Amino acid sequence: MNFDWWTLALQTINVVVLLWILARFLFRPVARIISERQDAAHAALDAAQAAQAEARAARDAARAEAETIQQQHAEQLAQARAEAEREKKRLLADTQTALEKTRAETRAELDQMRQAEAQDMARQAGALAIDMAGRLLARLPESARIGGFIEGLAEAVAALPETVRSSMGEAGPLSLRAARAPTEEETARIRARLSEVLGREVEIAVTPDTDLIAGLELDAPTAIVRNHFRADFERIREELAADE
Amino acid sequence: MTDNLIQIVSILAAAIAVSFGAIGPALAEGRAVAAAMDAIARQPEAAGTLSRTLFVGLAMIETMAIYTLVIALLVLFANPFV
Amino acid sequence: MDNPLSLAPLFHLGPVPITAPVVVTWGLIAVLSLFALVSTRKLSLRPGKTQTVLELFVSTIDAQVRETMNREPAPFRPLVGTIFLFVLVANWSSLIPGVEPPTAHLETDAALALVVFAATIGFGIATRGIKGYLATFAEPSWVMIPLNIVEQITRTFSLIVRLFGNIMSGVFVVGIILSLAGLFVPIPLMALDLLTGAVQAYIFAVLATVFIGAAVGDAPRPERPKKEDTVP
Repeated sequence: MNFDWWTLALQTINVVVLLWILARFLFRPVARIISERQDAAHAALDAAQAAQAEARAARDAARAEAETIQQQHAEQLAQARAEAEREKKRLLADTQTALEKTRAETRAELDQMRQAEAQDMARQAGALAIDMAGRLLARLPESARIGGFIEGLAEAVAALPETVRSSMGEAGPLSLRAARAPTEEETARIRARLSEVLGREVEIAVTPDTDLIAGLELDAPTAIVRNHFRADFERIREELAADE
Repeated sequence: MTDNLIQIVSILAAAIAVSFGAIGPALAEGRAVAAAMDAIARQPEAAGTLSRTLFVGLAMIETMAIYTLVIALLVLFANPFV
Repeated sequence: MDNPLSLAPLFHLGPVPITAPVVVTWGLIAVLSLFALVSTRKLSLRPGKTQTVLELFVSTIDAQVRETMNREPAPFRPLVGTIFLFVLVANWSSLIPGVEPPTAHLETDAALALVVFAATIGFGIATRGIKGYLATFAEPSWVMIPLNIVEQITRTFSLIVRLFGNIMSGVFVVGIILSLAGLFVPIPLMALDLLTGAVQAYIFAVLATVFIGAAVGDAPRPERPKKEDTVP
């Protein structure tokens, strides 16, 4: 067994030299190029990531814009809907008020018509009553048309104030209207009675007027004294109308 | 005769060293290969890694046999008593 | 039969005897240097075939070192790579007729193991400091100090003998077969030698990595820098 120490020393030197050469000329450049490529890849990756981020941001922006537009759209829609609702309400209210008014008008018209009808009916009834009274009076004696009223007239005249009474008949005969042309006797009685009431002699001028139905009416310049059925009917009718 | 005796003993020693030194690594290699086959059968996709590791392991085991061979060669060619 | 353990000097350079392994190693150094110079002349970001192979080789070493040491591979890359390349090329130099691999002789293997041994100590001291490195011998307790020292030496010897035995036995067997049957018969054995040579180169490099990794310790991995320093 011989171990050549010289060979060992030389081989050690050889290995160290080879180590230096390979480290200097093989491993360093290759490692550098690898790291360069890695850097390039990193840079490319970074660029790609940046581009991706940019694209994502753009997409987000577009989405946000779309959302805004949608929101605006919804707002507009809501606004339009609210407006339409308001318009509808207004139209409805208008229609209702118009309807109400029309109804009120109709009702008023109806009431008017009814009232007119009622007045008409009342008038007809009054006319009927007058007619009926006239007919009924026809069954009584002719004297009843005047004779029964003379006393009432006198009393009414007596109830007048003194000044009115004193002026009666001063300027000519008292104009008197009767339901029919009175007889002589009746005329005398009326004159006598009036003279008695007034306290002096008065002349009278009688004119027949069938409208009175029955009774007398004294037309003085300062006073009218009505004592006849027509006036009574008028009064009654007015009272009935006031009752309604 | 003394020289001859030493050479005879040396040759015998070398033969015994190699023969007995081969038993252990042989068994070990057999077990290693069997285990590797089992593993490859279980996981065929790992066959590449397994076979690479197997080769390295076999080489390491084989080194034991090589040691005995070196001893045998030392006895034969670099016997200090010759 | 030639004695595979002995060496005869080819010639003398002054007082220094030059043996065959030294000459072959010089040749290998020349070839490897030429290859390195030529192949790294035109490196670009768009790699050609050679550059791709080189980068694959370097990144494989990096991955191996990173996996074993949990450290950045830059300081260890040249040593591990050189050991692997040199052992591989030396083992395969048996393909050239008349050339005996330098690794088939103890001196070359011893030189390689010596370099690894020195690198182990150097990296250990550089990483932990002298005190820190010496303190690793007292792990896990001071009782282990002699055992640790013995382990350092024996594992270096085992490194030497493993490579030497494998390659030498291959050469030896091929020589024996060649003396028995000259033509074609040794070819399968030579192919086996190629496989053994590659595997042994890989094992040598891995073991060197493991030894250096044990010396520098399983330090917490620093923040991975973007640019890897190429200077050891």
